Amino acid sequence: MKTAEEIFTALEEMFGAKRETLDKWGVTAIVSAGYLRNVVQFLKDTADVELDMLVDIAGIDYLTYPNHEGPRFAVSYSFKSIANPGLRFRLKVLVSEDSLKVPTLCGLYANANWYEREVYDQFGIVFEGHPDLRRLLNHVEFVGHPLRKDYPAQKRQWLSTNDYLLPALEKRLEDLGYRVVQRSKEVGTNDNEFLEGSIKE
Amino acid sequence: MTAEAEKPNIITSSLDFIVNWGRTNSLWPFPYGTACCAIEFMSTEVGRYDLSRIGSEYVRFTPRQSDVLLVAGTITYKQAPILKRIYEQMAEPRWVIAMGACACSGGFYDCYCTVPGIDHIIPVDVYIGGCPSRPEAFFDAMFDLQKKIKDESYMKQRAERVKEQLEMIKAKTAEAKANAKEFAQEKVVEIKDFVKAKEQNLVKKAQFWKE
Repeated sequence: MKTAEEIFTALEEMFGAKRETLDKWGVTAIVSAGYLRNVVQFLKDTADVELDMLVDIAGIDYLTYPNHEGPRFAVSYSFKSIANPGLRFRLKVLVSEDSLKVPTLCGLYANANWYEREVYDQFGIVFEGHPDLRRLLNHVEFVGHPLRKDYPAQKRQWLSTNDYLLPALEKRLEDLGYRVVQRSKEVGTNDNEFLEGSIKE
Repeated sequence: MTAEAEKPNIITSSLDFIVNWGRTNSLWPFPYGTACCAIEFMSTEVGRYDLSRIGSEYVRFTPRQSDVLLVAGTITYKQAPILKRIYEQMAEPRWVIAMGACACSGGFYDCYCTVPGIDHIIPVDVYIGGCPSRPEAFFDAMFDLQKKIKDESYMKQRAERVKEQLEMIKAKTAEAKANAKEFAQEKVVEIKDFVKAKEQNLVKKAQFWKE
């Protein structure tokens, strides 16, 4: 098992990663967005490292952070190793406000799909190459990204409809080999009709 | 004769009293439980507190069969349309109890996603405080609701309904009459025109043959 220090030296040599000084455990490396996929591939595949579990993806907004310099946003990836128990590592990608783009990790970790959707939902950071980048927690009609520091916390948004999940569900089932035999009269396949609101004349 | 009088099988009462008595003692709740208040409701429902003592043992999980919408827990904006729709699906007469601080006022969730009280969406009859409310408080609310139902008058509401229906029928009849009149006038004008055209035709023909 390699220690975090050894991983750091390897990453510094290969990808020019930097240490994050804010992390008191000293296991965070800052990498550039261009190298992210390569770094993650390296961490996942190298023997004695094998970070085979993606624990979390978190967005960070540094707008009101004291004494902060540099890009406004960051995305933080937490990894854990099951092959080497006790080994944890974290990557951080800085994202400037002008180009909110980070490459996706969907091909490498299956659970990255929903984590990235969540970060996109709450911070508006776009993950390039993501197969299905929609809102995860907030409503389809929601405007804005609520976990940004400049989003007014007291702002209320009234929403007129509930999410219409049936077409997506049917599609998923049809992909698995099922087919729709019969559909209730109340259930239409038109999304827009459903989005008109709960009260129908 | 006296033997028959000793076994009375008729009671006389007002319809209001009977209807309210029936409604009061069989309030079937629809639990819309989203948070810890729903756990308290479960404890109210079973064994120790036993909500069936006041005739509410049937918890219906369909809005069509329930009388009381019991909103127990935090309501987010994403859920608000669903709650509204469930309220609309309930048959009248219907009542709403807001249970706990979150349902009453949003509680301590002062954020972008929580509705500050369900009375922004649907009318509420009884509010219960507490975080979460105790089963005793829930019973108190049910008694309050029963008192409220006892004050209602079925006959008055019915009279109002009938009045509304009558007015609607009158308005519709007047409209239909006006339409028929208009239609008749149009027809008359049409026939007159037709006759005039025929006459002119005849006159023309007569002139032609004269010549």
